[in-house]
Amino acid sequence: MIRRRHLLSLGASLALALSLPAGARAQDKLPVVATFSILGDMVKNVGGDRVAVTTLVGPGGDAHVYAPAPNDAKTLAAAKVVFTNGLGFEGWISRLVKASGTKAAVVTATRGVTPLKMAERGHEHDHGHDHGGSDPHAWQAVGNAKIYVANIREALIKADPDGRAVYEANATRYLEALDRLDAQVREAVAAIPADRRQVITTHDAFGYFERAYGLDFVAPQGVSTEAEASAKDVARIIAQVRKHKIPAVFLENVSDPRLVKRIAEETGAKIGGTLYSDALTDENGPAPTYIEMMRHNIRALSLALES
Amino acid sequence: MTAALTFRDLTLGYDRHPAVHHLDGAVAPGSLLAVVGPNGAGKSTLFKGIAGALRPLSGGIDRGRLKAREIAYLPQIAEIDRSFPIHVYDMVAMGLWRRAGLFGGIGRDDRAAVEAAIAAVGLTGFEDRPIATLSGGQMQRTLFARLLLQDARVILLDEPFTAIDAKTTSDLLDLVRRWHSEARTVMVILHDMEVVKANFPETLLLAREAVAWGTTADVLTAENLLRARQMCEAFDSHAHACGHGHAAA
Amino acid sequence: MLMLAGMGTLRRSGRRVPPMYEHLVAPFAEFEFMRRALVGTTALALGAGPVGVFLMLRRMSLVGDAMAHAILPGAAVGFLLSGLNLFAMTAGGLVAGFVVALLAGLVARATELKEDASLAAFYLVSLALGVMIVSIKGTNVDLLHVLFGTVLALDDATLLLLAAIATVSLVVLAIVYRPLVLECVDPNFLRSVSPAGAPAHIVFLALVVMNLVGGFHALGTLLAVGIMMLPAAAARFWARDITAIIVLATAMGIISGYAGLLLSFHAGVPSGPAIILVAGAFYAFSVLFGRAGGLLRQLFPGRHLEA
Repeated sequence: MIRRRHLLSLGASLALALSLPAGARAQDKLPVVATFSILGDMVKNVGGDRVAVTTLVGPGGDAHVYAPAPNDAKTLAAAKVVFTNGLGFEGWISRLVKASGTKAAVVTATRGVTPLKMAERGHEHDHGHDHGGSDPHAWQAVGNAKIYVANIREALIKADPDGRAVYEANATRYLEALDRLDAQVREAVAAIPADRRQVITTHDAFGYFERAYGLDFVAPQGVSTEAEASAKDVARIIAQVRKHKIPAVFLENVSDPRLVKRIAEETGAKIGGTLYSDALTDENGPAPTYIEMMRHNIRALSLALES
Repeated sequence: MTAALTFRDLTLGYDRHPAVHHLDGAVAPGSLLAVVGPNGAGKSTLFKGIAGALRPLSGGIDRGRLKAREIAYLPQIAEIDRSFPIHVYDMVAMGLWRRAGLFGGIGRDDRAAVEAAIAAVGLTGFEDRPIATLSGGQMQRTLFARLLLQDARVILLDEPFTAIDAKTTSDLLDLVRRWHSEARTVMVILHDMEVVKANFPETLLLAREAVAWGTTADVLTAENLLRARQMCEAFDSHAHACGHGHAAA
Repeated sequence: MLMLAGMGTLRRSGRRVPPMYEHLVAPFAEFEFMRRALVGTTALALGAGPVGVFLMLRRMSLVGDAMAHAILPGAAVGFLLSGLNLFAMTAGGLVAGFVVALLAGLVARATELKEDASLAAFYLVSLALGVMIVSIKGTNVDLLHVLFGTVLALDDATLLLLAAIATVSLVVLAIVYRPLVLECVDPNFLRSVSPAGAPAHIVFLALVVMNLVGGFHALGTLLAVGIMMLPAAAARFWARDITAIIVLATAMGIISGYAGLLLSFHAGVPSGPAIILVAGAFYAFSVLFGRAGGLLRQLFPGRHLEA
């Protein structure tokens, strides 16, 4: 009897001793969660080595229809900060946060962004989430991305005041890169002849891009990938393409390409390639980071519209 | 004499409980045989076994050179979906299966045969009626008409006249007699002893085992009937494995 | 609309066309996607109509919904092997559908379990398997959402698929018609005269899977299942002979497609729901006013006949 108890306490202290160094190592990085890949990329850029970022909706995923897994609740519970987009993008996040019981600070990256109203179309949302009438894809304008970065920086500093210097340096560097990106996009758009600045895409994700850079995006469906098109919508777009001789049609990486292909075939518009709107690609793809995603998009647009 | 059907130590039942227990005997071809007995005597089970719908628990049924399609079986509660949208004509025409097969068209001769069968059961004028609208008697006539067309060598009828009016019963008995005159083997399960005595030359009195089998007058005696009634009706849930019959020596 | 009735509509070419043409024919004349949609729904109605009638009569009306879930593991395996390749996922879905239908059918025939319970068991297991397979890959694309198409986006390959399914269905049904009918009305009789019952049943199940999966791929679940079951249910109220019911159901399916597309075109209602709503209207009308068992007929049977 006595021997067993000795063994038990020996085992327990061994386990404790072994876990301590591991625990200490984990304390070095601040555990944070970002809801989707684009946001996650920005957080990584500002946080650098001081943060360990977990992204819920990974590359290629569709945050509009994401169904959280139990693992996600665990991840949230262990995090110190949770970054969300806001503007109704993640209809599922508030329930998940409550369910996980996390004590993390929940940060809305779009705080301070001037929201766009969703375009008036006859679309429907049949899966319960409500944008509140706003278009959530604010990151499509680089100017908004800079607001995201500022919010991220402040949140990280608040959660980890010791890292203030690192966060500020990273953020400044990243903001400069974003400025260069913004200039690049404007240059590219300027190079497109004024009467050709119109494209068709699969869903209304580029409202902010439109407003910031002056390219016209027309889509047959509503903002969410759940919405279904009506024949009237499609006919209207075809008529529009024919009337304005819109040159190119773009597919996206999170929705069904068949409808857009049909429109292209019927109007003679060219299929310009894939635009990345709601998610990054993995490392092997053309859009593994936010900056590369925007660069890819504008390059594809220019290529299709200039010729 | 070759027999139409031979039962060799036949045991038929459900879940190992025997409903027909060690039955031996032969049915001569062309016989008109009534099968009677108390409830639970195994009569329907026997017919199911003959028709091939139930496998014997032990022993066997020798059908000679009879093919399965040459045995026509009319079960007691026909599992017919009466709500299915089909007419009397099409229902009766099913009996032509052997001739028409899967794709065979129904030619003029076949159509005449269908009409004759419908007339033979007294349902002329009912051809376009959906079966949902038929009375019990009319439905039974329809099924008999189908049997007529099947042109089978052995005909098994399980309580065909239960809950049927007297006129229909008498008309259908005429058909049974006609089959007998055509040298077909006809076996009918009945409860009405008067009908048996009036129409059937031979009778099998069954109470799980054969109590008596032969001419109707010899079989339907008071002592035989009493003996049959005394035999156990219910399944015995404490029964042991059976050691009787040919197998136990 | 009434005011213009006499005047007709002024076309760009300067010719006046009667408003009937403008409303009922012009949308199809002007837009190829509308013509394709019409051909697609007609093909679907031709194949799915008769199949739906038999399903209804065999009390298997909910098979369509069960099948929509049962195909998930097949689509998932296709996705694991070839990514978001529609052909691979549809082929996988077909295989999964066949397996589930086959197993359910065999169990129902060989044991006391009835069709509905057997199918319920197998489709649930299949769905669970599918969810597990999807979670292995880790990405969160809503597979089934991508797999399900829309009637407005029918390309040549899909139209060919629908036409092929319709042709095969009609030919095969003509062959197994008699055993199929017998199996519904008097299965014991069929079993006693021919061994064709089981194979006919299996073949029928194969047709069901083919129509459903092909329908899902081309047109989405709502349309595929709806065109299969609603016209069948409606036709029941107008005829008492199975051949007449089949013809009526098919006709109603075709008309629903035509009218629904027009509704989607003129009123901006999403196309799938529009078509199903028209079919639903047929159904409601039939329940109330159908000559064979409709409610009004039951309440007010009129004077009885002499004999």
